[in-house]
Amino acid sequence: MIQLENVEKVYRTDRIETVALEDVNLHVERGQFVSIMGPSGCGKSTLLNVIGLLDAPSGGTLTLAGEEIANYSDRKLASFRNAKLGFIFQSFHLVPDLTVADNVEIPLLYRRVSGSERRRMALEAIDRVGLSSRARHFPGQLSGGQQQRVAIARAIVGRPEILLADEPTGNLDSQMGDEVMNILESLNEESTTIVMVTHDARLAERTDRTVRLFDGRRVD
Amino acid sequence: MKAQLQLALRVLARRKFFTFISLFGISFTLVVLMLVTAIVDHVFATHPPETRLERTLGVYRMELIGKDFRRRSGPNWSFLDQQIRTLPGVERVSIFRVQHGVDAYHQGRKMKLYIKRTDGEFWKILDFRFVEGAPYTSADHDAGRFVAVINESTRERFFGDAPALGRSITIDGQTFRVVGVVEDVPITRVIPFGDVWAPITTAKSQAYRFEQYTDDFMALVMAKSPADFPRLKAEVQRRTSLTPVGGPDDFERRNTALETPFEALASQLPSGELGERLGIAPPLLLGGMLALMAILFMILPAMNLVNLNLSRILERASEVGVRKAYGASKRQLVMQFVVENVVLTLIGAAIGLALSVAALHLINTSGAIPYADFGVNLRIFGWGVLMAIVFGVVSGVFPAWRIARLHPVLALKGESR
Repeated sequence: MIQLENVEKVYRTDRIETVALEDVNLHVERGQFVSIMGPSGCGKSTLLNVIGLLDAPSGGTLTLAGEEIANYSDRKLASFRNAKLGFIFQSFHLVPDLTVADNVEIPLLYRRVSGSERRRMALEAIDRVGLSSRARHFPGQLSGGQQQRVAIARAIVGRPEILLADEPTGNLDSQMGDEVMNILESLNEESTTIVMVTHDARLAERTDRTVRLFDGRRVD
Repeated sequence: MKAQLQLALRVLARRKFFTFISLFGISFTLVVLMLVTAIVDHVFATHPPETRLERTLGVYRMELIGKDFRRRSGPNWSFLDQQIRTLPGVERVSIFRVQHGVDAYHQGRKMKLYIKRTDGEFWKILDFRFVEGAPYTSADHDAGRFVAVINESTRERFFGDAPALGRSITIDGQTFRVVGVVEDVPITRVIPFGDVWAPITTAKSQAYRFEQYTDDFMALVMAKSPADFPRLKAEVQRRTSLTPVGGPDDFERRNTALETPFEALASQLPSGELGERLGIAPPLLLGGMLALMAILFMILPAMNLVNLNLSRILERASEVGVRKAYGASKRQLVMQFVVENVVLTLIGAAIGLALSVAALHLINTSGAIPYADFGVNLRIFGWGVLMAIVFGVVSGVFPAWRIARLHPVLALKGESR
């Protein structure tokens, strides 16, 4: 499902060259739940951004869902992300001006889906994370755990094959974190491939396998 | 598009302060534009009774110029009678006097009325709407008959709902027989305005016939065709230069012109002297100054809107990052913000229209401007809305385009540059 071969990511400015990823190889099977661990600044988020097509690798090859992603235009990348990928961010990134339902609908706005069908799918995803009673609330009216569950609903509303989670429990207490992890596990049981960046070894133990990074290299 | 419209309305409803400030700016600008154009339109555009403006010019001012001074006033009667009434090749010429405020008494009640003294031709050049009777004629004028035309409001004050035709009114100690009643004319139509119109020859004193310099008369000249205007203007210039100034030596020359009311206004405002000094026709200079003021007036709120939009959109970098992550293209993002702006502009325009109608209604009914009947000029309003939409699009496109180009990772971090 996810195949990285000799992937590099180098950030260059006029004077400085920073190697964020170096010769990273990774193979994730369909339906696997993989965690990525490592100290701050080791390249975990960069790796996730590369897999999520938010950042282009400086070298190497990347294959997602059987498609080798090379020389894709911005439009094609956007279309691929919309169809195949779901994102969960540490700081939720919900749009404060929109209700829970409107936030969850966002990925569907960029597909050919009617308004009523969009709303039906959004409510179904919200129900999936146990927030049906909050569909008309605004993010500011929800707890951190609830906001992250909304973010998960948004990530799964388009039924993506791959879910990418960047420290999804990083801003939550342990109980809320467990709740979020339970949802991710149940999604994984339905064969969604999940790659999760985490600092929490306890959560990493609950995944199928853990990839460890140090200074941009795999060390596991 | 429907989803974008709904989204725009939700965002605007949530961001109340920004929405209020933007709507205030847009609607206030449109209201001022509407009020100014309504007044300008009322003063200068073709409206009854001035329905023949395209063929009519006037002599509205007379200047006597000395070495170190100018005396500005209206022309004297004898100049108009001898030099303007005798212009060759014109259809009609009317001489009339600027209206005067006079007191009238009726059933022990004092009233302030404006009386305008005119000749009989006045009624043939201007197209008053008579609700009773007819105007007095040149024969009435020449014979000095004490006949008068009054407006509807004056009829109501004197006679209530009853007809006025043939009845008498006493104004400023003179008694007139009412021969006609016309619809009210607002004071902004300076030339035809009055409450009561009577022959010049009924003036209490005939001294005006002997006034040699300036007075408070004016003349209307109705040409056979607008093509005659240059010839007539040149002829008036020629006749003015040949007319002796007379009187004390202090005066060196007369200056007057056959012109439109706007040209007369431009000559009497500072644009007149400035235009003479710069060699630019005063109406052109005044028109240019007014256009510049209008543009500046529109540009300031537009720039403010651009600035507001820029900061509003840039603070939504994180949202843009999320939308990009979920597949929004640059075009879709730009479209989203532009739709928000256009929706905002249209709401502002609707509020502006409603406030303009309310403000004009208030002015019309307040009595501050006698007989005012200002209306919204829908053509100007249409242009105003169109300009506002253009500003809305332009002010939305730049910040939206800028933020749509952001790298999604940077946008997710909330970085706007």
